[in-house]
Amino acid sequence: MTSIPQDTAPDGGEYDPVYLNARREAVVIFGVWVVCLLWSVPYCYIAGFPKEGQEFLPETLSTVGGIPSWVFWGILFPWVLATLFTTWFCFFYMVDDDLGEANEGADIQEEIEELHAAEQEGGQ
Amino acid sequence: MSGTLSFSPLLAAGSNAALITFLIYTLAVFGLAAVSNQLLKSKSFLSEYFLGSRSLGVWAFALTFAATSASGGSFTGFPSKIYTHGWTLALWIGSYMVVPICAMGLLGKRLNHVARISGSITVPDVLRDRFHSAKFGALATLLIVFFMTFNLVAQFKAGSYILNTLLKDVEFFQFAALQTESMTSGIPFLAGVDPAYLLCLLFFGVAVIIYTTYGGFHAVVWTDVMQGIVMVIGVMIMLPLALTQVGGLQHATAEMAKMMPPKLGTLSVTIDQPQDVGLNIDAQTWLKTGSGENERLFRVSEFASIPKGKLTATDVKVVEITTPEEIVRINGQLERDPSDQLQIPYEVNNIDVKEYAYGSGKRGGYVTGPGPAPSNVNGFLPLSLAISFFFMWAISGAGQPSSMVRLMAFNSSTTLRRSIFTVAIYYGLIYFPLVVIFCCARLLLPGMDATADAIMPEMAVHLTKNVGMLWLAGLLVAAPFAAVMSTVDSFLLMISSALVRDVYQRNINPEVTEKRIKLMSYVCTAVVGTGAMLGAINPPQFLQDIIVYTGSGLAACFLGPMVFTLYWPRANAHGVIAGMLAGFAAHLSMYVAGFVIKQRFEPYRLFNFDPIIVGLFVSFLAVYVVTLMTPPPPEELVNKYFRRRPNAG
Repeated sequence: MTSIPQDTAPDGGEYDPVYLNARREAVVIFGVWVVCLLWSVPYCYIAGFPKEGQEFLPETLSTVGGIPSWVFWGILFPWVLATLFTTWFCFFYMVDDDLGEANEGADIQEEIEELHAAEQEGGQ
Repeated sequence: MSGTLSFSPLLAAGSNAALITFLIYTLAVFGLAAVSNQLLKSKSFLSEYFLGSRSLGVWAFALTFAATSASGGSFTGFPSKIYTHGWTLALWIGSYMVVPICAMGLLGKRLNHVARISGSITVPDVLRDRFHSAKFGALATLLIVFFMTFNLVAQFKAGSYILNTLLKDVEFFQFAALQTESMTSGIPFLAGVDPAYLLCLLFFGVAVIIYTTYGGFHAVVWTDVMQGIVMVIGVMIMLPLALTQVGGLQHATAEMAKMMPPKLGTLSVTIDQPQDVGLNIDAQTWLKTGSGENERLFRVSEFASIPKGKLTATDVKVVEITTPEEIVRINGQLERDPSDQLQIPYEVNNIDVKEYAYGSGKRGGYVTGPGPAPSNVNGFLPLSLAISFFFMWAISGAGQPSSMVRLMAFNSSTTLRRSIFTVAIYYGLIYFPLVVIFCCARLLLPGMDATADAIMPEMAVHLTKNVGMLWLAGLLVAAPFAAVMSTVDSFLLMISSALVRDVYQRNINPEVTEKRIKLMSYVCTAVVGTGAMLGAINPPQFLQDIIVYTGSGLAACFLGPMVFTLYWPRANAHGVIAGMLAGFAAHLSMYVAGFVIKQRFEPYRLFNFDPIIVGLFVSFLAVYVVTLMTPPPPEELVNKYFRRRPNAG
């Protein structure tokens, strides 16, 4: 999407670093989801779904530690990798941004001011 | 979850333990609510009551997020599906490997940041403030109230059924149910309602309403923490017990590989001599007919009886075991322990059983995809649905307003980082082990396919009884109850906040006093909870289907607009309103088309994909296109939410 801004705004001003960090982290997270999808679903489909007309013989089922091998390599193995990635992401990649103090009541205050301004305009 | 569940006599043994667990549980919940109420006195009321003053630390944030997302389905519907369809459920739930990082990380930091800039307390608050658009806020509020009200009623129903499951064999409870029946029989609105269900609904509803109303967000979060701990402990106890008792996972999978799906239906049981006191045929009684290679084996799935002086029970609901090796194994068990058979001579006739639509007569269905299915000719999880569920859990999970409000409540980005890690470990400890446990259940508790919704409590009691620790069953069966409770309280508070904050304070009277808003919050939470409880007395038809509709519908409406709200400075009110309406309409149209074509509450699946895919695609596209077609947002809004603030580092 071409309209997503770069680190500097079109007018040369600076974007908030929390916004920039959050956006960069979100892109990485979305990428990880895509990788997991592209690994798990096709692998399980190819290795774990019987082909049309193919007869299943129970003694031929391949397992790893009692888990069907298509489940082990298609789900459990990437699950472990995804958890390791999450660990790295949380402790070594994600930035500790200062989220700032909450402006409690700021939105309501703004509305009250606008309300009074509108009333004054109406009264004039 | 089915309306009527049948349970074995075995389950009765765990009921006293369950009752004690439940009472301890309820007391603890009220204690937490009392402590939470103290916090309300020392902080800004609305921010504390609906958002916990944005002060959640790692454990509170991680476990409230995990417990709210888990809902009752994780401990009732999910085990039932594993039992019914086998190992393919690992693929169905597979995207949980990235759910924590997606559902918390995609929006978490930025949403919390934006909510702090504006001072927003609710999700509609954020959307309204970001675009300075009362219309957008009102639309978001309307959709939250619409979707969540249905869901709340359904969750009340689910909680009451689970409580009924726990208590139905306790003598005191049976006595209380009889008293309830005598009191309500003259009231037309209540006359046709099962008194045991009504009693459970009243107990469950009143408990949840009181602690949520009195304690607010912190009470909900702390009970979530307690409930989240109960859930993970339950699974961690069950896993080794199941593996040991089944003889190892290798053995279980090898036996499952030989299994063919059962047949479900009815038959008649006829005895030779009439009995003086009638004959009860308990649920899970084994029945046989024929001999040698022609022997057929059935398990009764609902209680039936032959009345005094009669010889036949008709329409006895049964599951027929069709795998020869399984029949031999069960016969061996019945020879060692014949107590689960009728103790007098009988004949079985009028057998009317139905084969599975997919997988019938074939081995291997329980260890391969797409898994056996009673009514779907394409199997349980064809490829298109597997892709849909990868979207559903990880991506649409991020689009749930109940999750979003939690993302606004953590205290720092350090908490967010540590919580994502904590939830990743937590889900790893729960979901894959559940698949293992309930695959083992196919061997340990065979023939329960018609009553698979009860497999969780049945398995809990079975596993603990075999090791002489029946008291543990109380803790284990409390897990699904905890899961429903943690979902109900969150939804209740969301609806209440939408009405008090988004409708009244922001649209009717911004200058309302703190004292009045406090009173309104208490009253509104209590009234909404009571309304949902009354709605659950005679819940509308298709309620369980409506839960699925509301879950994916909320994501279709909220995810696209929220992503653009947080990450695209060019986004404007026209675009996000269009995206929200388009997501709602596209998702709804799939259900309307399904209803027209199939004459039942079931969505039309475009290219075999779930409606959530269609809804999300249309919503994202609509925001983007409409935004570019309309003027850019005011510069001051972009500066406020996207530019470096003067006091920032």
